[in-house]
Amino acid sequence: MIRRIGRLCAGALFLALLQPVTAGAPAVGDMAPDFTLPAAAGGNVRLSEHRGEVVLLTFWSSRCSVCVAQMAALGNLQTTYRSAGLVTLAVSVDDDMKSATQFAKSHPARFPLLLDPLKTVGRAYSIELIPTTVLIDRRGRVRFLLADYHGTDNSYVAQVRALLDDPL
Amino acid sequence: MSSARIGLLSAPITLALSLVCNIAVGVEPSAAGPAQAPGAITASGPTESPAVGPAGPEASSDAGGPAPAATPSVANGAPDTSTRALDEQIQDLKKSVVDLNKDLFVLEEELLFPANTQVALFVSMDVGDFFGLDAVTVKIDNREVSNYLYTPREVAALVKGGVQRLYVGNLKAGSHELVALFTGKGPNDRDYKRGASIKFEKGVGAKYLELKISDRVRSQQPEFEIKDWE
Repeated sequence: MIRRIGRLCAGALFLALLQPVTAGAPAVGDMAPDFTLPAAAGGNVRLSEHRGEVVLLTFWSSRCSVCVAQMAALGNLQTTYRSAGLVTLAVSVDDDMKSATQFAKSHPARFPLLLDPLKTVGRAYSIELIPTTVLIDRRGRVRFLLADYHGTDNSYVAQVRALLDDPL
Repeated sequence: MSSARIGLLSAPITLALSLVCNIAVGVEPSAAGPAQAPGAITASGPTESPAVGPAGPEASSDAGGPAPAATPSVANGAPDTSTRALDEQIQDLKKSVVDLNKDLFVLEEELLFPANTQVALFVSMDVGDFFGLDAVTVKIDNREVSNYLYTPREVAALVKGGVQRLYVGNLKAGSHELVALFTGKGPNDRDYKRGASIKFEKGVGAKYLELKISDRVRSQQPEFEIKDWE
């Protein structure tokens, strides 16, 4: 009996310790953490200024080859749905800002490539895999998370269409 | 601070919104709707229509005349007035929620930043032809209290005459030093970094300081000034 209580206490303690680690990542339905980041092309971008639009947020790195393919696909998506209210933002998770800036120059995108030297945004969204795509609806809520994009998974396109159809 | 603010503000707002929802849900399906409607409308013009409404069908059925013609208009009129009354109730509740939010905000400001320790920093821009603001970093007594990145929309608002409250905090009475570092694009679109500092005395009352960016036309350069509002 005492052993059972001891195990339960240990389990509860383990869960309590686990809680703060997992609490940081926004889940689907949570408000997307706001941020302001400098863009590689100049100027700053604030997420909350795009309230009322559907935001496709993607996290990339200059060392990620899949990111290049995804960015090209996202560029096409952005061109198609810009007038319907789609905004694409790509946040770098590079350690070295020089290589991120170099990447941004050599791979011009049709959307802002944002630099996050302190990695605050990557931490706020608990990014573990690259590229990770987050879809944020017009009210600023996270509606879809896609990690580990392989170049064939375009499930977010349907989600983008659904969110664009959803009025504020 | 933000979590405290959310905690303070969200509870009454949630309560009020749930009240709105309860009223909306409670009134709609039941017979309470038409009963409440005349009471709510008393202040406005259309009080007469509900009174005419119920009387209409009875009168026409008694007379045995053209009842079917009158019935649809009466049936359409009653829900309209009740919906309007419900709308007005919802608008009143929304207004009271906004008022409550305002009162709570003022209360929160008074509690978190009492007048005797309060220090507030404001940013303003005059013209801004020679400087494109990108970021402002503020240090008080060598401690960074704010590092703010400006979006083009915010810069445009400042250029139009807007004043932004950049920081509000608490400081004890005595002498302090404020250093502000401005980053952006200077004349000829070159990277530009300038600093400004001020030593000020914090007395018993609240302290207001303004970081003012203006154009010095004679030298074709921006000017950075920290103004102490007495």
